[in-house]
Amino acid sequence: MSISLKRARAIFVKDYKEFSRNYAISIILVFPILFAFLFRSAGSALPGAIGFLLNTSLVILTSLAQACLIAEEKERNTLRSLMLTPATTLDVLIGKSSLVFVMSAVVLAISTYILGYEPANIGTFTAAIILSIILYTAAGTICGLFSKTVLEASLSILPVAFIFTGAPWGAVLAKDYPVFKVLDFMPSSQLVHLLGLGDTGYTTGDVLKPLLIILAWTVVLTVVSVVLYVRRLKDE
Amino acid sequence: MAGSMHSLYIYAINAKDVEFMEVIQVERVRKSFGPKDALADVSFSIPKGEIFGFLGPSGAGKTTLIKILTAQLNPTSGQASVFNQPAERMRQSAQKMRFGILTDNSGLYERLSVEENLELYRKLYDLPKAAVDKVLQFVNLSGERKKKVNLLSKGMRQRVMLACAIIHEPELLFLDEPTSALDPVNSAHIYKGLRYLNEKGTTIFLTTHDMAEAELMCNRVAILYQGQIQVIGSPKELKRQHRKHAVSVDLTNGEAYELPIGGETADRIADWMKRGLIDRIETKEPSLGDIFIKMTGSELL
Repeated sequence: MSISLKRARAIFVKDYKEFSRNYAISIILVFPILFAFLFRSAGSALPGAIGFLLNTSLVILTSLAQACLIAEEKERNTLRSLMLTPATTLDVLIGKSSLVFVMSAVVLAISTYILGYEPANIGTFTAAIILSIILYTAAGTICGLFSKTVLEASLSILPVAFIFTGAPWGAVLAKDYPVFKVLDFMPSSQLVHLLGLGDTGYTTGDVLKPLLIILAWTVVLTVVSVVLYVRRLKDE
Repeated sequence: MAGSMHSLYIYAINAKDVEFMEVIQVERVRKSFGPKDALADVSFSIPKGEIFGFLGPSGAGKTTLIKILTAQLNPTSGQASVFNQPAERMRQSAQKMRFGILTDNSGLYERLSVEENLELYRKLYDLPKAAVDKVLQFVNLSGERKKKVNLLSKGMRQRVMLACAIIHEPELLFLDEPTSALDPVNSAHIYKGLRYLNEKGTTIFLTTHDMAEAELMCNRVAILYQGQIQVIGSPKELKRQHRKHAVSVDLTNGEAYELPIGGETADRIADWMKRGLIDRIETKEPSLGDIFIKMTGSELL
């Protein structure tokens, strides 16, 4: 399937204009920054603050915004109209996801700066954040595709929020309840591992394992979202 | 031998011409949703430049057929071709450039202006900037270009949707109930635009349950009922086929007659005419609505 950057950019610009005029949704951009100020006032050394901030922001900003954008297009029948133009599935998905990607990257960077977090390895941190944004965008796409309205989309994010942001906390219980060990394989838990690396004393394995697990989640959820997107737009 | 080769050559030329001329070909198409057949064994073809009306009550299968022809659905069985290619190929970007579609649930971006909506379509179809001005003039909305879509009346919104469907000047235009819920003035605007497009060569596939609209617009119509085509032909032909062989005569003295066409009736009319008694005389022609009721035994919904 071909990709036209021109068409993807046209969809990006359209989404930007729509999003910036939709105050009910665009207000979510403020929350991560607000959280960052709150945590900073509690002291930058607050344990788990950066992990909680980033994981929560990825759900309430990235996934929620994407789910609402997709659901609104479905609710107003514009998604089908868009698919009957020469824009391909990938043009539409890339165009729609780009806005959420850019917004998430900027807001997360600002929030991290406000909190005063300094990553041990900036390259690893950047890679993990980029993969996480893609992953949570895909999760948002899936939620949006299963929702008929924006309201449904906002509610469908709740399980994602519960599972993904709760996983790092649940994984702590793995010593007493081995079944919780599985939560350690969630991308949010792996992100927390990466964020917790010290300036010294970590091996390549300490970096690669979490990155690969996050990458695997990203690939799987992205493929699922594309396949679902194609199938949900058919009336079979 | 030479003669037979010659006829074979002529046949090949003719077959090619016929194929080229037919924009849509549907052969024995069936579409089932579970145990229910939305379309059952539907066959017809549409030549280039025609306005073809697909008529039927709500739920007759009209929208299903448009979805098959625009590759949004696959038929359960049978063949559907558009531009002489399997309809599934209409998913390809190059093919999507060739047709436009306006459905009764086409959407617009409410927070964007008329111009911004059209700009999006212009970019998706990779058209020059002038295309927006041209289409705005065409749908008579140049003065409303800066207005947000959520502030427009239903008629204006429908015209914006039509503009989105035709901005790329498609060879084939699918219209699914284009004037449903529009007042006569807005409907007339749309009809005028469609006729102009058709004169420029656009083939139009129109589904409607409005028989008057079909009669006004279409070169040929097919009446679909319970997933099957009941009758197909030009409105004139259909009316001729289904007309009552009778004339109705109103006399100046208030008497009215419905008389069978024939020599005896001709004599009586001639006599009334000589005596100056004829007030009104007309043939009894059915409307498309009458034909629909006759063919299906159902009232339109």
